[in-house]
Order: sequence, then C-alpha cells, then structure tokens
Amino acid sequence: MYQLINTILIGITSGAIYSLMAIALVLVWRSARVVNFAQAGQALLSTYIGYEFIQKFHSFWLALLLAMIAGAAVSALIDATFMRTLFRRAGHGPIAGVAPIIATLGLLGVIRSGLGLIVGGKDVRIAPPVSNVGYTVSGHTLAFSPLKLLVVGSVLILMLVLSLLFQRTNVGLALRASAYSPEIARLAGVRVDGMRTLGWALAGAAGAAAGMLQTPDGSGALSPDSLEFSLLLVFGFIAAVIGGLESLVGAVVGGLLLGMVLAFVLIYISTSLVFITAFALLIVVLLVKPGGLIGSRRGRRA
Amino acid sequence: MRKFMNSYFGRLAFFIVLGFVLFLASNRVDELRVYQGATVAMYVVAISSLILLTGYSGQVSLGHGALLAIGGYAAALARNHFSAPIWLCFVVAIVATAMAGAVIGTAAARLSGPYLAGSTLALAVGLPSIANQFHILGGEQGLLFDLGAPPARLGADFTQYKWYFWIASVVALIAIWLLQNILRSRFGRTWRAVRSNEVAAELAGIHVGKSKTLAFTVSAGLAGLAGALLAMTIGTVSPSAFPLTLSFALLTGAVLSGVTTLSGVIIGALVLVATPDIADAISNRFASSDNVTTNLPGLLVSSLLILVVLLVPNGPVEQMRTLRARRSVKKTQ
Repeated sequence: MYQLINTILIGITSGAIYSLMAIALVLVWRSARVVNFAQAGQALLSTYIGYEFIQKFHSFWLALLLAMIAGAAVSALIDATFMRTLFRRAGHGPIAGVAPIIATLGLLGVIRSGLGLIVGGKDVRIAPPVSNVGYTVSGHTLAFSPLKLLVVGSVLILMLVLSLLFQRTNVGLALRASAYSPEIARLAGVRVDGMRTLGWALAGAAGAAAGMLQTPDGSGALSPDSLEFSLLLVFGFIAAVIGGLESLVGAVVGGLLLGMVLAFVLIYISTSLVFITAFALLIVVLLVKPGGLIGSRRGRRA
Repeated sequence: MRKFMNSYFGRLAFFIVLGFVLFLASNRVDELRVYQGATVAMYVVAISSLILLTGYSGQVSLGHGALLAIGGYAAALARNHFSAPIWLCFVVAIVATAMAGAVIGTAAARLSGPYLAGSTLALAVGLPSIANQFHILGGEQGLLFDLGAPPARLGADFTQYKWYFWIASVVALIAIWLLQNILRSRFGRTWRAVRSNEVAAELAGIHVGKSKTLAFTVSAGLAGLAGALLAMTIGTVSPSAFPLTLSFALLTGAVLSGVTTLSGVIIGALVLVATPDIADAISNRFASSDNVTTNLPGLLVSSLLILVVLLVPNGPVEQMRTLRARRSVKKTQ
C-alpha cells in the first residue's frame, strides 16, 4: 500500500519537472514552429548562472529568480540573432525542413562543450533550499518531502502565471495571434518577430526553473555532461508530444502521465526498461492519437 | 571522360581503382592511421545511410546510433552463437537492422520533421539500455565481437588493424557503389520527388508512405552494416559504445558532407575522425587541462555544424555545383 502511494508520489514530482521542460518546448513550438533541442543546454547554462548567484547572495530564491531572468535573456538572444539568421539563410531549399532541428542540436553541443571547457571538472553542488527528508505518516516515511512539494508548487504557479498571461493580457492575445496566424497578426499590427522572441524568452525562463529545481531534487551535483539534462530534454519532449505540443495544460498533463508511468515501471518492473517504455509510450500516443491527448484537432503531419 | 564516369561501368571502374589506391595506401602508413582509416570507412557507411534518409527522403533521424547498435549486436550474436563467417556476420547485421528499420519506418512515415526527430532521439536513449535487461545481450559489459586474426597467407607482418581496414574499406566501397545505383534508379527518383513536394509526388502516383518506409528500411540496413563495422574495430559491443553523442556525430557528419548529395560523404567521415586529433594538437599546444582535452572535440564539431548550416546549408558539394552553374550561365550570356 505504502509502496503504491510512494510510486504515485515519485511519479508526480518527476512528472512535474518533465512538465516544466515540456512547457518550455511548447512555448517555443507555439511561437516559432521549432522544437528547440537546445533547451536542455539553455537550462544547463541557466542553472550554472543560478549556481553563481547562490554563491554570491546565499539565497536559493533570489538565485532562482535571477537564473530565470538570465535564461530568458539568453533565450531571447538566441532567437533574435541565431534563429533569425538561420531562417534567412536556410529557410528554403531541400534543407529547410531539417535546418532548425540541426541548428538547435548544434547549439546544444556548443553550449554543453563550451560550459565543459570553462567550468567542467569542478564539483558543483546546489543544496536543496528546503528539507528533502520525506514526511512521516504513522511511522512510514513517504517519498514526498518539502522539496518535492516546492517542485510541484512551482510548476503549478508557473502554469497559472503563464495561463493568465496568455488568456487575460493584451500581450498574451498578441502571442496567441502570432502563433495562430503570423500573416494576419502582422496585418493587425502585431510585431510578430518581437512576439516570437518573447515566446523564446518565456521558454528560457521555464527551462531555467526546470534546471534549478531538477538539480537539488536529483543528485544535487551539476556537470556539463550530466545525463540528467539529456533525460530532461528527451522526457520533456515526450511529455510535450503526449500533450499535443500546442497546449500548456497538455504539457503538464503529459508530464505527469509520463512521470507516473515511468515511476511504475521503475519500481514494479525494472530500471533498465524505463527509457524504452518512454519511447513506447511516445510511439503509441503518436500512432493512436497523433494530435496529442490534449490539443488541437488538426492533424500534426503538415 | 565525364560521360564514362557517369555510366554504370565507369562508376564500377572508379570504385575498383579507388579500392586499389586504398590498398596501396594502407601499406605505407603507420598502425594508427590504418585504424583511423577503418573508422573512416565505418563513418562513410553510417553517414551515407543518414544522407539517404535525410537528404533523399527528407526524414531526419537523431537516433541512428540505435540502429548501429542493432547491427552491432546482431553481428556479435551471429558470430558468438553460430560462429558465422565474416561475410555472414555483416549480412545478418544488415538484415536484422533492416527488419527493425521497416517496423520503425512504418511508424516514422506518419511523422514529420520535429516529431520524427524527437522520437528517434528517444529511441537512441532507450534502445541501448535494453541490453541490461536481457542476459543474452551481456549487460553493461556487452559482448565480444572477434573476427579473428588475418589469414596466414597474407604474411606474418600483416597486422590486425590492417585486416580490419581491408574489410571495412571493401565493405564500404561495395555499400556505396550499391547505394549509388539505388539512388539513380526508380527508387532514388521517387524519394527525391517525395522530399521536394509530398503532395505533387502523391498526385504523380507515388505512394508516399511506402516510399518513406522503404527509404527508412534501406537506410537502417546500411546503418546496421556500419554498426557491425564499428563493433569490429572496437572488438566488443556494449551499450556505452552507442551513446547519444554518436547519433549526433553522425548527423554532424551528414550535414558537413552536404545532406543532399552522396558525393561529399567522405568529407564528413574524415572530419569526424580528424577532429579529435586536431583538438589534441590544439590542447597540447596551449594550456592542456583535462577540461580542454575532453570538451574541445565536441566544441569544434558543434561549431562546425552550426557554421555549415548557416553558411552552406546544402553542403559544400552542392554549393560548388551551384557556383559552377552560375559561372557557366554568366559565360554563355
């Protein structure tokens, strides 16, 4: 019984972090029609920046905020310089379809190995801001600590803030308009390029939050070639696709579902089947419900 | 001359001459270069498999490492359990991976761009870890893959790596020659039609899904062959021999070669093999900390990838062709 509860709790917390990454991917996809494979690299970079701020100010919360701002700035910069050049130069011809994928992958490599060159090899750790000792209920220790509560809470808050931004503000309306139809939005006076950069910036902030929360929740150690960040990218992508790649709610639902399934496989079946289960889940969703569990009804093949 | 080179026999003759040149070259360089030569041949096969998929059929795979893994394991199993002769190991690798490719390709044909890229990425992360689950695959240590010492009649000073180089080169030459002929056939034209415009291709009577699945199957067969070659040069197959970085390196090689043409394939393979050497030379020259030595190759390769996508998105070979075409237009005017 307690094992079942613990499995669900582990699923929820790991799912929450996948959701954050999925949200970041969805934000870029909606505004630029690009799946940003560099997102994991950006999250890594932001987490290192956050680590420097922790060393300086000795406050996790301030560092989290600053890391998110830095992540947003880096992300906006990438769109405004790199991606804009890319679309101008490689936006046509046989390569056009795959150029953004290749370019963001290259960016991922540059960020990772660049970081490794500068800060690699050092033992960098981010201590959890709140206790990571599980709550105890009638003698049993649950796999749920104040830290996990914090992770889940941050996802909910971020989700709420983004939903309010998208649904209740003029900027959100402009963001949605330029995602829905760039041409018409431009005619209606929306600065589509600016909105796309803003979408990237929001994604950068969400990715930074994912990195900052993932690190103390996992091993606590930070390294440029850490497997955790590769997994964050792959699982974030799977979560986003399960959710339809279009909707923020979908990203959260997809993340939680993926986290839950993986937790059950991990605890009840075998550690070495976790990755292939994630792949199988992705393929099943893509084949059975190509529009994602929550998403537009339009086909995704175009 | 040009006409002869473009004819069927011309190309066959070209490959035979190339093989002879490689054979002469292998006698004149040292052991390390011979080993690197075998790796180049492996990369040539792997990259051409990716070029076929991405450049000719418009599907992008970030998980070719997983297909290489299937080929490597299939060859090792055939060798260890049935003591298959060398050529049969390669055939088994090709057939097994092509079958897996047909299954994956059926799913892949329904996906486009980023969805396919992400799914293959998930495959690359997931597949090698299966080896830990099944005892027959040898877990984290993997399996031995030993093709044996070179035949005695080649002489006593014929080294192991030279033997590997010979096998790899012959296999690569045959594979590329076959692939060239496939690409010039009906199938090659169909794939290019689908890549350029799916709707138009469908209107012309091409079954787009089938054509994509076929492209994926052929590409997977080649990737399996490359996997067997890789396993041969390392001597073992294990999950750690097929990391995510391998898949990314192959994609980089394909982009450097120019994804739209097969003729540049050697460029990418050479760059992939040469980069660690160049990085070593640089880091020995300047401050040689561990950080620099481990990260410089990756940095060089990724920077190169970005530069190529930005500056010559269709690859150096295609770029030269465009330039030449433009110049000849100018001349006639």
